[in-house]
Amino acid sequence: MKFFASRFKSAWSKRLLILGGLILVYGWALRGLKLDLEMLNQSVPYTIDFISRLLPPDWSVIDVAVNALVETIQMSLWGTTIGALLSIPIALLSAHNLTPSWVRWIANLVQNAVRSVPSIVLGLFFVSATGLGAPAGTLALGIYTIGYLAKLYQEAIESVDPSSIESLRVSGASWLQIAQYGIFPQVLPLGLGYTLYMFEYNIRSASVLGVVGAGGIGFELVNYIRGFEYNKATTMMLVLLVVVIMIDGVSNQLRRRLETL
Amino acid sequence: MKTNRVMQIQPLTSLAIACSNLHSPFLATLKRPALNGVNCAIRAGEFVTLVGLNGAGKSTLLRSLVGLVPIQKGTIHINGVAVSFKSLRQRQEVSILFQGGGLVPQLTALENVLCGSLGQRSTWQTLTGFRRSDRLHALQLLQELGLDAQIYQKTSHLSGGQRQRVAIARILMQSPKILLVDEPITGLDVLAATQVMDVFSQLHRQGITIVSVLHDLTIAANYAQRAIVLNAGRVVYDGICENLPAHLSVGRS
Repeated sequence: MKFFASRFKSAWSKRLLILGGLILVYGWALRGLKLDLEMLNQSVPYTIDFISRLLPPDWSVIDVAVNALVETIQMSLWGTTIGALLSIPIALLSAHNLTPSWVRWIANLVQNAVRSVPSIVLGLFFVSATGLGAPAGTLALGIYTIGYLAKLYQEAIESVDPSSIESLRVSGASWLQIAQYGIFPQVLPLGLGYTLYMFEYNIRSASVLGVVGAGGIGFELVNYIRGFEYNKATTMMLVLLVVVIMIDGVSNQLRRRLETL
Repeated sequence: MKTNRVMQIQPLTSLAIACSNLHSPFLATLKRPALNGVNCAIRAGEFVTLVGLNGAGKSTLLRSLVGLVPIQKGTIHINGVAVSFKSLRQRQEVSILFQGGGLVPQLTALENVLCGSLGQRSTWQTLTGFRRSDRLHALQLLQELGLDAQIYQKTSHLSGGQRQRVAIARILMQSPKILLVDEPITGLDVLAATQVMDVFSQLHRQGITIVSVLHDLTIAANYAQRAIVLNAGRVVYDGICENLPAHLSVGRS
């Protein structure tokens, strides 16, 4: 009886300790934000003012919006494709069921290095390399995509049924033959699904890249906001919203089809 | 022991497989090696079943014969030639059929069977597909195994018994002399199990040595000529398939 009581007690003191730790961490983070309740209250009119200036949308720039959006989609298409192609070898080299640990270590380092560079920084880098416009944005998206797709591809490769790989290995198949006939068909449906998701995601990140002048709808959006033409900026955002919803719907359908492959 | 008697009577060269004092690496979870001094001899053309409770070392023994388990101590002779852990992997005359078949579910039955020929072709030769002679061979094997209607179906859509027969066809692409089989009928209904076992029986009549792990002792007794009972990494019975349940429970106590 005593034994159970002490077990019970220690479990509770452990939970209290974790709770206390969590409160401390959140409190510490809140202090860092320098949040002021007074300021929050005063901010309400400013917020309402900002939103009211966004409305109503100015539909006169719809052609600009559509053109910029088409450019965004083109950037995303090429950026995602470049990134996906570059991700394949990196993913193969970082999968634990294929590659010796020292190679994996290097490939993972590359992945983490790419992932830790913000897309804005990539945008600035390529703008300085190739000048303002869509080419810079496309290249930035390509590199940005590696950080995510390489990881997702790697996980798809690692979830392959090990006995199917072992069967091929035992029959004397080479590394490339195993990759081509054993791994590729199993990874393809999942990998294509991830790539579609990334394409969709890149349309959104392409709009952020516009801020640093790397082309696309974000470029126009930021220009209108800087010129205090909020109603025109609203049009840009609404057009983007419609396209994101449409692409989400289409890619959901496509992904569902892929799952039945 | 009976094992040793077989070894003494038969000169080493007429044996398909001979294991003596086989030890695999120590396993902390079992507090012993999975194979703890296995002695066994299998003549060319025999149909032998390996039986034993879970964890007895049946699968490990099969895997050690194709070089998937490093050998700590002891020797393996295949067709009279002493082989090492490394050289086992290159041997084409021994093939193993894993539990569940190990097929690629997204490929068709035909493509899976063709994968069996990868070892005999170079990476360059198979980069753009398979040669015509291989395709014809694969089609013929699938037809012989009664899978005419399933040739172009993805193996994920096939039944368990059909999948197992596709896996057998894939193995046969390598024309093995010795076939190691791990639990080929686990999870199959009676009809599918009989179909699969009949295939092995037919291969045996064609002269292929078959060593199969089986859990169904009745089926084991029906098909195999001899049973080797393993317990805790050792051979505890080696002889005709009579009274197998008793031999298994002896191992348990």
